[in-house]
Amino acid sequence: MTDFLYPFIEADERDPAPLLADLERSATAKADTSRRLGVATLAGCAPEIGRAAAAMAERFAAGGRLLAFGNGGSAADAAGLVALFGTPPWGRPLPALSLGADPVVLSALGNDVGFEVVFARQLMAHGRPGDLVVGLSTSGNSANLLAAFAEARRRGMLSVGVAGYGGGRMATASLDHCLVVEADSVHRIQETQSALLFALWSAVQSGLDGRP
Amino acid sequence: MPSPDGPLGPLAGRLAAASLALARRFAGGGTLWCWSPRWPHHARHVAVEFVHPVVVGARAFPAVAVVETDAVAALRHLVGPGDAIVVVGGSVEEVVPVLRRAPAWGVLTLWVGAGAGPAVADHELALPGGDSAFHSGEVVLLYHLLWELTQVCFEHPGLLAPAPAPVGEVCVTCSDAARLGEVVVTSPGDMATVRTAEGREEIDTTLVGTLRAGDLVLVHAGTAIDVVAIDVVAVDVVDIDVVAVP
Repeated sequence: MTDFLYPFIEADERDPAPLLADLERSATAKADTSRRLGVATLAGCAPEIGRAAAAMAERFAAGGRLLAFGNGGSAADAAGLVALFGTPPWGRPLPALSLGADPVVLSALGNDVGFEVVFARQLMAHGRPGDLVVGLSTSGNSANLLAAFAEARRRGMLSVGVAGYGGGRMATASLDHCLVVEADSVHRIQETQSALLFALWSAVQSGLDGRP
Repeated sequence: MPSPDGPLGPLAGRLAAASLALARRFAGGGTLWCWSPRWPHHARHVAVEFVHPVVVGARAFPAVAVVETDAVAALRHLVGPGDAIVVVGGSVEEVVPVLRRAPAWGVLTLWVGAGAGPAVADHELALPGGDSAFHSGEVVLLYHLLWELTQVCFEHPGLLAPAPAPVGEVCVTCSDAARLGEVVVTSPGDMATVRTAEGREEIDTTLVGTLRAGDLVLVHAGTAIDVVAIDVVAVDVVDIDVVAVP
């Protein structure tokens, strides 16, 4: 931006020390923002986490399975959630599937029908009424998540949404439970969504304590 | 993780250095290979950040998640000099076979995780605490910051030339430094083809005895002068400094 004033400044820059100091300050500030957002969101969502976890524990206790989905980084986080439920670091392993795990299925549905059905069609194939779904979206507007939540509702599955940016369309999509991160950076939203889901998993584990 | 130095403590400085090193690899045409032995979803998350940036105007960079069971076998034939590997988590035993070989492949290594790092990678970003950091978003924050800072480095093109090579021990008689090589194949007459950061070469292995493909050796003046141990045995961390003194 300052090229016209200092044409030498960027291309001829040779000393990395000022940049490294800037990066260090930037990392510290962003981490601080992330931490504050996480603490505030966990506090604000605590009642909804408690309600969602109780309903999920009921479903798991009755033999229900978790089906999780998201797009992009949220697909990775959905896979992480499935790993957390399925092969937990402690507590009880619970049946969980990631609907984004198989590129063969995703490309078959995406190519033959359309990407908006990649999760909904999988729910038609193996969703059972006692199952539960968790969908992650930073915008709250992903068409394939909204289609999947609609399909889950038709099938009597428990639905839990995790969204950012005020919730987007997921906030009004008649989900059983919706956890919303009030922020407008995809990265900060995802970090706090992971914290929310970790709290949710812990609460489900507590809810299953003492059950056979 | 309260710290008098801010929420990241000394990690902020390490993140800055790691980001500039990674940016220099991308600027030179390198690819980032992402691997997590325990949590492949973290490897995929890192890769998608770089390939498909969510911020408008950010640059896309070549990054690939490696989720094969045998990461050494997969990476060996994928990576090339100038690339980088980022490893998310994993025990020392799991990650060291990749990290120890990386210099022979000419690859920069980063380790991102929590708890004790493997102490082998070029850059290690280790959060305090245990495995819960891999689930609670804290490790995600670290690799998000790595991505964000790497993007910032590209606003400083003058700083993206490759870092000057570290000046190592150089032989006084032939001015050749000892380099790490991975044995590709052995041949009769105590010879072997090895791979180093500079490429493949034929070397004499008389001094080190029988070798197998995959072994690591120190190469000096066309000769293998020592075998480098790859696998680590469990070492009491407290004793390392004591043991290291000859």
